[in-house]
Amino acid sequence: MTSTTQTPQVPVTVLTGYLGAGKTTLLNRVLQENHGKKYAVIVNEFGEIGIDNDLVVGADEEIFEMNNGCICCTVRGDLIRIIGGLMKRSGQFDAILVETTGLADPAPVAQTFFTDEDVRRRTRLDGVIAVVDAKHIGQTLENESEAQNQIAFADVILLNKADLVDPEELDRIEGRIRTLNPFAKIHRTNRCGIELDKVLDRGAFDLERILGMDPDFLHTDEHDHDHGHHHHDPNPVHDSEIKSVSIGIDAPIDAAKFDSWIGDILMTQGQDILRTKGILNMAGEDKRFVFQGVHMMSEGAFTGPWPDNDARRSRLVFIGRHLDEAALKQGFEACAA
Amino acid sequence: MPEEPQLNERARTLTFGEYVVGVAANGRVFGVAFGDGTIRIIDSLTPDAEPVSTKAHNGAALCIAADIEAGAFLTGGDDGKLVHTSVLGETSVLAEHKHRWIEHVTSHAGSAFRVYAVGKDAIVLSKKAGGQTRTFSHKSSVAGLAINPKGRRLAVSHYDGVSLWWLASKDSKPTLLEWKGSHLQLAWSPDGMHIISAMQENALHGWRLSDAEHMRMSGYPAKIRALAFTRKGQFLATGGAESVVCWPFTGGGPMGKTPAQFGHSGGTPVTALAANPKLDIIAAGFENGAVVLGQPGEERTVTMVPGGTGPVTALCWNPEGEILLAGTETGEVHIADFRS
Repeated sequence: MTSTTQTPQVPVTVLTGYLGAGKTTLLNRVLQENHGKKYAVIVNEFGEIGIDNDLVVGADEEIFEMNNGCICCTVRGDLIRIIGGLMKRSGQFDAILVETTGLADPAPVAQTFFTDEDVRRRTRLDGVIAVVDAKHIGQTLENESEAQNQIAFADVILLNKADLVDPEELDRIEGRIRTLNPFAKIHRTNRCGIELDKVLDRGAFDLERILGMDPDFLHTDEHDHDHGHHHHDPNPVHDSEIKSVSIGIDAPIDAAKFDSWIGDILMTQGQDILRTKGILNMAGEDKRFVFQGVHMMSEGAFTGPWPDNDARRSRLVFIGRHLDEAALKQGFEACAA
Repeated sequence: MPEEPQLNERARTLTFGEYVVGVAANGRVFGVAFGDGTIRIIDSLTPDAEPVSTKAHNGAALCIAADIEAGAFLTGGDDGKLVHTSVLGETSVLAEHKHRWIEHVTSHAGSAFRVYAVGKDAIVLSKKAGGQTRTFSHKSSVAGLAINPKGRRLAVSHYDGVSLWWLASKDSKPTLLEWKGSHLQLAWSPDGMHIISAMQENALHGWRLSDAEHMRMSGYPAKIRALAFTRKGQFLATGGAESVVCWPFTGGGPMGKTPAQFGHSGGTPVTALAANPKLDIIAAGFENGAVVLGQPGEERTVTMVPGGTGPVTALCWNPEGEILLAGTETGEVHIADFRS
């Protein structure tokens, strides 16, 4: 048999955010502005889009559980169908944008791109954008787990309607967002006014590009992002809030020990861990090992070499609920070669 | 060194460059639906003639079936239209659902039912033009439609099971065959005794209708994208692996038996299947574009198309079983002619 022709993968950007935060404004910009790319847009509500474009598709959010041994694995059945249909129009668009409903959990959307073979063969998840209303996010974050999920999951966060909030308050909000999500890019915007290349085509799930995306990732001190008093607070209400745990070790990592440890962590705590990212110095390897996960699903690969002047420090960031920082740190340290 | 496989001398390739969504046969003609909304009608008696070509949909065609009228086809598209295309290429819109997609269509010539799906509904068109339509609603989106061989019952796959409806009955309650998970493509056994669904997971689920006994066939390395019963129903040929996995349905069914296989490709999964209507031969298409003919458990296969293109998306025999059409994602249509 001869080899299969390589299928180009269409990038997919997922757009989350509460009703009224400004998602539709951003969608309309993507559809109307001359940015040289044609987007197929999957929306949850037709009425909001002011444009009659035959590449705008309505979705009925259908969450399917997978019987694949992953207890938390849910996917969006409607997306699998719609992407299969869109692929029949090959060459008529360059990228796909998926809008989710205001209260949606981004995880089933992201997991769809890791789980379904046909979707994975034809598309790649490019990034998750959260549009948040700067005026209301402070309060919603305290009360709504959906808002926490969306922020914690995002690769890019648009702190929209920034002109309605004074700069000190914006700093405070950004600080709060950072406790949930240390690796997202945060942009302050008005009416989603931002160059589209800062939100689209980010390669946020591309192992090769994770490093380039997060120049500070390697250098940040883990304690910067620690969620101090909440972590030490035994109050179970606080424990159920999302936080991030960033841990680093200097000793090279034993690949087999790490595999077994992280596999066990994701298997037993994957339901509570929204995202994981890591850059690891594997013993005996010149290249950096990059690791990422969404709940229980994960992947890792050796990417480029370590920069000459960089300390080969291994770092791992978890975003989730009920994270036991001390146990994670101890477990990671035990992976030393 | 083994010889590099060539295009079989009985096969020819037409190149259209658009995604082949599906192929159906109706009498002596084949209908081929494309991703740009074009329908082409290929006459099996004069396969060298230029096919009749018509633009049936504004966007992509998403599905095709033979119509109940001789030589005609039904297609659904992402423009929300159900279109009837005659043997001469004349189109008429039978139904339109703005902003929706029509992803599934089927018909039964003997009982003269046309059925299509839009969202969570399966819609049955009456035989007479302008007559009453009936809508069968489900809790989740329709993922597959299949009318039983006698043309009386409709099986609809969806999340958490399959609903069976009587096409002519006024009783609007379906028989629900429940099984957790997302059920996709369906196949009825030729005797109408079994209904099988390919699932989102790499498994098949089936029911014996006489007693609603469940069958579960798993262990596949990949998603099962094709199902075909052999003409007398001795075997169910399935995709989902790098060879065609054929479950025996004789002598009490497949449970506890080892499936027969054929057509091991050495690295590329099966994407399309069609059982010959006259002989115990199965055509199999692969992700690398190859098409082979084989029989369950027989090592020897005949290569019709060597591959090297996009995946095979559709395979169809004419009713005499003498001509095979294959279509690919990259827009090739292969015609193999077995008349002497």
